[in-house]
Amino acid sequence: MATTALEQELKEMIIDALELEDVTPEDIDPDEPLFVEGLGLDSIDALELGLALQKRYGITLESDAESSRQHFANLRSLAALVEARRAQ
Amino acid sequence: MMDLYLQDWRAWTPHRDAPSEPRLDSSVKPSGAGVPAMLRRRLNLIGRAICDMLVTLDPESNSLLLHASRHGDGDRTLEMLYTLNEGDPLSPARFGLSVHNAIIGVHSIASGNRRSQQAIAASGGEWAALLMESRGYLADGEREIIVVFGDQPVPARFADYVPSTQSAAVALRLSAHPTPGVRRIVEHPGAGAPEPVQPLDVIDWLLQDEALLACPIARRQWQLEGESSLQASNACKTGARRAESGHN
Repeated sequence: MATTALEQELKEMIIDALELEDVTPEDIDPDEPLFVEGLGLDSIDALELGLALQKRYGITLESDAESSRQHFANLRSLAALVEARRAQ
Repeated sequence: MMDLYLQDWRAWTPHRDAPSEPRLDSSVKPSGAGVPAMLRRRLNLIGRAICDMLVTLDPESNSLLLHASRHGDGDRTLEMLYTLNEGDPLSPARFGLSVHNAIIGVHSIASGNRRSQQAIAASGGEWAALLMESRGYLADGEREIIVVFGDQPVPARFADYVPSTQSAAVALRLSAHPTPGVRRIVEHPGAGAPEPVQPLDVIDWLLQDEALLACPIARRQWQLEGESSLQASNACKTGARRAESGHN
C-alpha cells in the first residue's frame, strides 16, 4: 500500500515532535508498531504525540486507554484517527 | 573527620584543553554513545557528557549517584514558563527533562542502575554539599560513591543575576579507604576565594597537584594530596612538573 499524503505528514510530525535523531520518514513503516517494538517509542512519546495531535489537528483524545492504544498502534491507525476526527 | 580518596574521575568541558589528559573530554559535542539513541535524543550536551562519564566510572551500574547542579536545565524551564504564559499546554517531554534529577534519571533507565540517586542544588554550595553527602553514605558503609557536578550558562534572560557560568561537568569516584596511588582529599577550614565553586574550578583543581579549592559559603577548602599523574599511566603535564620540582 502506498503512503498517503497524510501519512507522510504524520511521519514528519512524529520525527519533529519527538526529536527522533537519525530517523527519516522512510524508516517509519506504516504497518509496524509505533510503541515499544517497531519504532520503539515510550510513554512520554505517547503524551507528546497526543499534544502534537491536539495542536496540529485539534484532536483531543479521550482518556480511555484501550481506544488510545488502538489509535496509536501504527501510522495507519493514527492516520485513520486524524481523517475521522480532524477539526473541519 | 573521615578522609576521602579520589579513586578516579572524568570531566567534560570545551573550555579547557589538555590533550595529554585522557580523563578530560574537550569536545564541543560529546557523543552520548553510552546511551541508546532513543533515550539520547532527550539529553542536551551536558547530559550526554555526564551519561558517558558515568558509564566509564561505573561500568557495573551499581554505584550510588549524587548529582549536583546550581542551575539545572534553565533553558527548558524558561521555555515552559513562556508556554504557560501563552496559555498553551506544556510539552510532557520538556517537563520530564526539566527536573533536577533528569540526567541521572535517564542514565538510570539506560544503564539499569537502580541504586539510590540524589539531586542537589545548593545556591553555590554544591561542591561542599556533594562531599558532605558522600561522607554520610560512606560512613553508612558504602564502599564507593560517584558524585557529579555540572552546570551550563543560564538563559540570557537570567544572566544578569548570577555569576557567569561556562559549560562543564565533572564526575568523581570517591572512597573512604585509600588504595595505592590514589589522591587524598584533605579538608581545611577557611573561606578562600569569594566566588562559589563551579564545575570548571573542580576540573582545574583535578588537573593540578596540591591545588586548593575553596567554597566560601561552606567556609571550607580542599586540597588534593598526592600527584595527579599517579592515577593514570599516561596522564598529563604533572610528569614534567614533578621532574622540575624533584618532588616524588
